[in-house]
Amino acid sequence: MIFLFIALPLVVAGILPLIGKISPRLLPDILANAVFAALLAIALFAGPSLIGQGAGLQPFMFLGEPLGIHLALDGFSLFMLAAISLVGLCIGLFSVDYMEHYGHKAAYYALLLIMFAGMNGLVLVTDFFQIYLFLEVAAIASYALVAYGLGHEELEASFKYLMLSAVSSAFIVISVTLLFGLTGSLDFGAVSQALRGLNQPLASGVCAALFIMGFGLKAALIPFHAWLPDAHPSAPAPISAALSGLLIKVSGIYALTRIFLKVFGLTPALSNILMILGAVSMVVAAFLALGQKDIKRMLAYSSISQVGYIVLGIGLGTPLGILGGLFHLLNHALAKSLLFLNSGSIQMAAGTRNLEEMNGLSKKMPVTAATTLVGSLSIAGVPPLNGFWSKLIIVVALVQAKRFGFALAAILASVLTLWYYLIIQRRAFFNKPDEKWRDVREAPFLMTTATVVLALLCIVIGIFFTATISTWIEPARDALAGGLQVIQSSIGIQ
Amino acid sequence: MTPQTLLIPILLPAGLAVVFFLIPSRVKLVREVLAVLGASALLYLGFVFFSVRNLSWKTPWLGRGIDFDLRLYHFSAFILLGLTGFLFLITLYSTVKMRNTPRLREYYGYVFLTAAMANGAVLSNNFVPLIFFWGGGLLTLYGLITIGGQTSHRTAVKSLMLGGFCDFSMILGIGILWAKTGTLTLSEISVKPEGVLAAAFILMMIGAIGKAGAMPFHTWIPDAAVDAPVSVMAFIPAALEKLLGIYLLARIALDFFHLEKNGAMAITLMIIGAATIVLAVFMALIQKDFKRLLSYHAVSQVGYMILGIGTAIPIGIAGGIFHMINHAMYKSGLFLSAGSVEHRTGTTDLRKLGGLSREMPLTAFGFAVCALAISGVWPLNGFVSKEMVFHGALETGYIIFAIAAWAGAVLTFASFLKAGHSVFLGPRSQDVPRVKESQGPVVLPILILAALCILFGVYNKLPLQTFITPILDGHAAPGEHLDFTSHALSVFNPVALISIGCLILALLLHIYGWRRGGKKAHLASEPVHTFPGLKQIYDLAEARIFDIYEQGIRFLRSLSLVLFKGIDRPIDAVYDKGVTAVGRAFTRLFQSAHNGHYANYLAWCLGGLLVLVGVIGWFVGF
Amino acid sequence: MMALQIGLLCGLVVFSLLAVLLRDILKAAISLAVASLLLGILFFRLDAPYAGAFEISVVAGLITVLFVVTIALTKAEGGVHESRAAAWIFPLFFVVFLVIDFLVMRRLIGQVASLPAPAEAGTFGQVLWKGRTFDLIAQVGVIFAGVFAVLALFRKRSKHE
Repeated sequence: MIFLFIALPLVVAGILPLIGKISPRLLPDILANAVFAALLAIALFAGPSLIGQGAGLQPFMFLGEPLGIHLALDGFSLFMLAAISLVGLCIGLFSVDYMEHYGHKAAYYALLLIMFAGMNGLVLVTDFFQIYLFLEVAAIASYALVAYGLGHEELEASFKYLMLSAVSSAFIVISVTLLFGLTGSLDFGAVSQALRGLNQPLASGVCAALFIMGFGLKAALIPFHAWLPDAHPSAPAPISAALSGLLIKVSGIYALTRIFLKVFGLTPALSNILMILGAVSMVVAAFLALGQKDIKRMLAYSSISQVGYIVLGIGLGTPLGILGGLFHLLNHALAKSLLFLNSGSIQMAAGTRNLEEMNGLSKKMPVTAATTLVGSLSIAGVPPLNGFWSKLIIVVALVQAKRFGFALAAILASVLTLWYYLIIQRRAFFNKPDEKWRDVREAPFLMTTATVVLALLCIVIGIFFTATISTWIEPARDALAGGLQVIQSSIGIQ
Repeated sequence: MTPQTLLIPILLPAGLAVVFFLIPSRVKLVREVLAVLGASALLYLGFVFFSVRNLSWKTPWLGRGIDFDLRLYHFSAFILLGLTGFLFLITLYSTVKMRNTPRLREYYGYVFLTAAMANGAVLSNNFVPLIFFWGGGLLTLYGLITIGGQTSHRTAVKSLMLGGFCDFSMILGIGILWAKTGTLTLSEISVKPEGVLAAAFILMMIGAIGKAGAMPFHTWIPDAAVDAPVSVMAFIPAALEKLLGIYLLARIALDFFHLEKNGAMAITLMIIGAATIVLAVFMALIQKDFKRLLSYHAVSQVGYMILGIGTAIPIGIAGGIFHMINHAMYKSGLFLSAGSVEHRTGTTDLRKLGGLSREMPLTAFGFAVCALAISGVWPLNGFVSKEMVFHGALETGYIIFAIAAWAGAVLTFASFLKAGHSVFLGPRSQDVPRVKESQGPVVLPILILAALCILFGVYNKLPLQTFITPILDGHAAPGEHLDFTSHALSVFNPVALISIGCLILALLLHIYGWRRGGKKAHLASEPVHTFPGLKQIYDLAEARIFDIYEQGIRFLRSLSLVLFKGIDRPIDAVYDKGVTAVGRAFTRLFQSAHNGHYANYLAWCLGGLLVLVGVIGWFVGF
Repeated sequence: MMALQIGLLCGLVVFSLLAVLLRDILKAAISLAVASLLLGILFFRLDAPYAGAFEISVVAGLITVLFVVTIALTKAEGGVHESRAAAWIFPLFFVVFLVIDFLVMRRLIGQVASLPAPAEAGTFGQVLWKGRTFDLIAQVGVIFAGVFAVLALFRKRSKHE
């Protein structure tokens, strides 16, 4: 059943070009969205019961012989799967109208499904090399998707992204190789056991550093972030949403968290490093976002900043901190995707991404304006939306752990975040409308539906945050925290 | 009847409201049919719940005693029945009357949303959802008032501000109550209003009477009478707000705090009630617009209800609560008939109308019944409830309150004689073209309400025993019998005779004024208006000196100017020069490092890696 | 034999550097091919024949051919204007990196116990198909991604504005 998460998108992606020949627009739309909906349904309904049986290790039978496929579903993986499928569905719905003028939708959907198959696979595997492989699957699909528009700017952005990402993938492979050499295995459990038995702080330290660099680049932590502000704006809006909302979290944060909390163990040194990286990303990216004129670049820098929050929370290592970090991951996925999708709506309607040209679109595009407001307020951390609660939990966790400097940095970053989001709201929507926007109309129905769903989720999760936390986030945190206690007594890097 | 069905009165109208917001404006028939069907379903539910009588549903919500707790018992079932009944009548009425309003989608949406909020407030057994629903009604009221027209924005804001203030004080009161009793569940609270709890009582009372529209929180109602659509007036200030406000006041006085007869709190209530009766009815008398006149009466009648509850005597309390439902019925009927007149003639100015009884007989009949009811004429329902309040007021021993109530009765009848005479009797006015009676859906609700007024008056045993008496269970001293019906219709006791005397006095006053004014009915109130001493007060009132909202706004304006010049501008300068400049400097610094070169970025990545290895190595003891 | 090993390694590093630093892209592509060839030989010497075979056939063979064909079919537009700093920054960086690398590795080499050679798990085919089946599925995904990337990026631009 879990295998469907990887197999279904891949299979559908495989047959899409053929279907695309028969029906270039309708069938690919329906098929792709059906896949997302099906995966979301499985994650929401079948998932929780599957976890209950313990980390579900599924040996697979094919033609009577056991194949070496080991997938593990625990609370953390299920949480990520649910988030991925949910945002994926909204992106799929949005793409139906948005990608009309890009052409060849079958190939687009195929690439999108492959990217999602890669992400799903990443969260389900228990083996270092397979993490690398699925990372690459998702990454290659994303290179192509970023360049989808085939304009000069897109191609350049995609190329930079590819080059930097290739470097990070290389370092990840190096680290995996080193680990294999040190421990003789690639499986998480076996490696973590072996590392504990082995007294090699420097070697594991080097591996850890390489992982941080590799996955940190995927997650766009400063100083490994520089590809993101070019790649995300140039991609088509739904892809920006998928990248900012999901890919950087899955291939970056999920992998970092899984590896450091389950395999290496979060020693104080690692915790400090992660927290410093997180705090620096939070604050510096916020400053950078302030100076932007392009709405999508501003959102891209904001993503870097919010990823800093998440890493700060998870890096803190206390149960409350991890809870806050994971909750913020979910909230940011929802809100940032919403904002990028809306920027796509604006771009489609008004033809520009330059904040100084947009003025007073709120009368013409009320739904977009309202949902953008919800998304902005959510990320800026305004109660009672979801972003407020997750940021609050992170700050409280920092204060409880007596890391007051970091708590102050978090609050400073929040203020900056509110600042630049208000700039977006004011410039894009609230000023007096310009003459040239006379003919602008609201975005098509499916696009607005997708964004309205995301906005409603932000509000609902904000109000019912206790229910959300106890149903989804606490199991995820418990799945991770188990590894923490076990390893804190190890002789890893001190 | 599973407990979850308690959610239907809240969710069904809310869901319908969403549907109404979405249906495009052009689809009229579907909307009207859906509205009437929905309202009928809710009314049916109201009856069903009333027969079930006892049901409750609770789910933990935010922890710390804040639960989503709904409880149906005799009082809330009774109010719920009233709420759903009025929703049905108003919806039926609106199908015709509001047909040509722009923003019709929003109208129905807000109406049903208001119903959802009101139902939720009545059913809540925990203060937090109560506050939520109570406050939600403010927003929908704002929306509904703004549908009225261009100038309605100011009035809508005023209603929001006044309502918000009352809500806020109620929340403070609830907070004190929570701190002292440790629970937020309505059915569990029972304390004496002493010390800090007295403050809580006052604060919550302000919230309740503010909602009901007593003085001095009433000033938005006359403005809304002109600015808002008349069906909104019939629905909310006339009916819903009275039901909710007096329901809460009754709970406060009977359940939460044990009001003692002639205790400090009780006297406060009685004073407010008496003052409201008298002051509002004076204002009502001189109005020249039919709807404004009705709205001042709505304020005045609330005084009777508050006075009744404030007596802390069973007959007085029962009278007050009975008056609440009676008033809702006849005031709503009066507004609806004013609306019917407006629908056909296009105006509600008393100077322009006249002699419409021949052309609109049904409306005139409905108006007449309701007008007689509000004036307290035997044997209608108003007579019964007013008598009960008079008895109670007398029993407290303070005659002054009874006198105030009687004075109010005089002027009430006088003003309705003036109104009825001006609109329906007398010579046919030339300012208005020939009209016909209004359509069925407009007239039917008026007649239904009129019929109910007659029923509740003549057969008053029914409402008293089914609705009111159970509420007083446990509040009467043992031995005191709770059957009021023997009092109710008897005319041959001193109190009733004095009331009848008041009515005759009012008639004489009206005839005198009419003659003086050259046989023009709308000038019948001039003698009172121009009475020396009163005239100056009236002029001041017209200039809105007594309107606390207006005075408050004026004060706030001057205060804000001082703060602006003295404090805000200097702080702003600090921000402008200081903070933003620093922020921009940092931004520029970081931006200069991002120059778009791939090699540059790669260098950072590798540099970062080296730093990481260095840091880790240092930790390890390189 | 140590000398040959060191020679191969140095040659690998030198030709990789050349691939990055040379200005003429054709020469750079050829350097890449040579570097890969040396790496393949190293693999053979380290008893990993399959790795060596794949390395040579894919990088030195397939990729170099792709590069050369692309270079032949496209015209270089005027040279990219690079700042002069770029010319010496990378070599400097590389030297620093070498130094640090040397210091780190000196501590690590000899410290890490070499693992006992595990019992032969099976032939290459068995390990690949039975032991690491999932990797193959993932590999299918990668192939799909590549194929669709090509399909998407080289699509007809009739609908694209």
